[in-house]
Amino acid sequence: MEPLTTELKRALFGWFYPYKYNLERWAYALQRISGLAVAGYFLAHIVETGNVVGGLDVWSIPSRGVAGDVWAATFRFLDNPLFDVGLVVIGFMLVYHTVNGVRLTLTEFGLLQGRPARPDFPYEPKSFTKAQRALFWISMLLAAGTAIYALNIFFGV
Amino acid sequence: MLLHYVTGIGILIAGGVHLFTVFLTGPYIQNLAFTGGPYSVLAVYRNMLLAITLELLLIFVDYHALNGIRIILIEFHQGTSWERGVSWVLIVTGILLLVYGTRTILIANALA
Repeated sequence: MEPLTTELKRALFGWFYPYKYNLERWAYALQRISGLAVAGYFLAHIVETGNVVGGLDVWSIPSRGVAGDVWAATFRFLDNPLFDVGLVVIGFMLVYHTVNGVRLTLTEFGLLQGRPARPDFPYEPKSFTKAQRALFWISMLLAAGTAIYALNIFFGV
Repeated sequence: MLLHYVTGIGILIAGGVHLFTVFLTGPYIQNLAFTGGPYSVLAVYRNMLLAITLELLLIFVDYHALNGIRIILIEFHQGTSWERGVSWVLIVTGILLLVYGTRTILIANALA
């Protein structure tokens, strides 16, 4: 038995070591990575929007002026090229996770799976049908499109 | 696991409405300002229908994100105490996030 931390580290680094992965395994690794990225954004977004009403120590209704000042200060803090780049990446991750998530939902309910077949050389996964591949590439295209849209908003390319 | 897919579809709809109000109803700078436009920050929270959409989105994303982390962690390692510990830590985190987010929506909705 290896120690728990070693096991967790090995499992995590497996995502970033896609040696001899097929397309479905790439989609899996990216779904996990993008999920964590968007979950991190969610956490930050809850904290950020908390400042709309004045922040962590406000638990009653503040005046509009006080809350507005806190929000303006938050907005100045977030107006930073580093966060803008982060949002471009989050935009890509979010749209990939959404569209690939739709593909996984279809898979969960047995749709677009193709017919069962004997596994033959070169052992391409039969369940990863043309429609599934198309959905994967559509998710890539839409994600790239979103990243370009976000780049245009923040940096005006 | 069914709830993971259900909340996923819920996020697709509620998140779509959320992104639509920010990016497709006018200049997004105006929509992120505190007041001043029909879809600026305070106006969205004060619109009852949009506020309810935001609360639903909060609940869906809260469940989906933390259950996603749970799935990753119990895929990495199995065992009763590990799975129980992971679940409880994430349930408590999820409730804290839900309380803080709901506080934002309720106060911003009532802000005069």
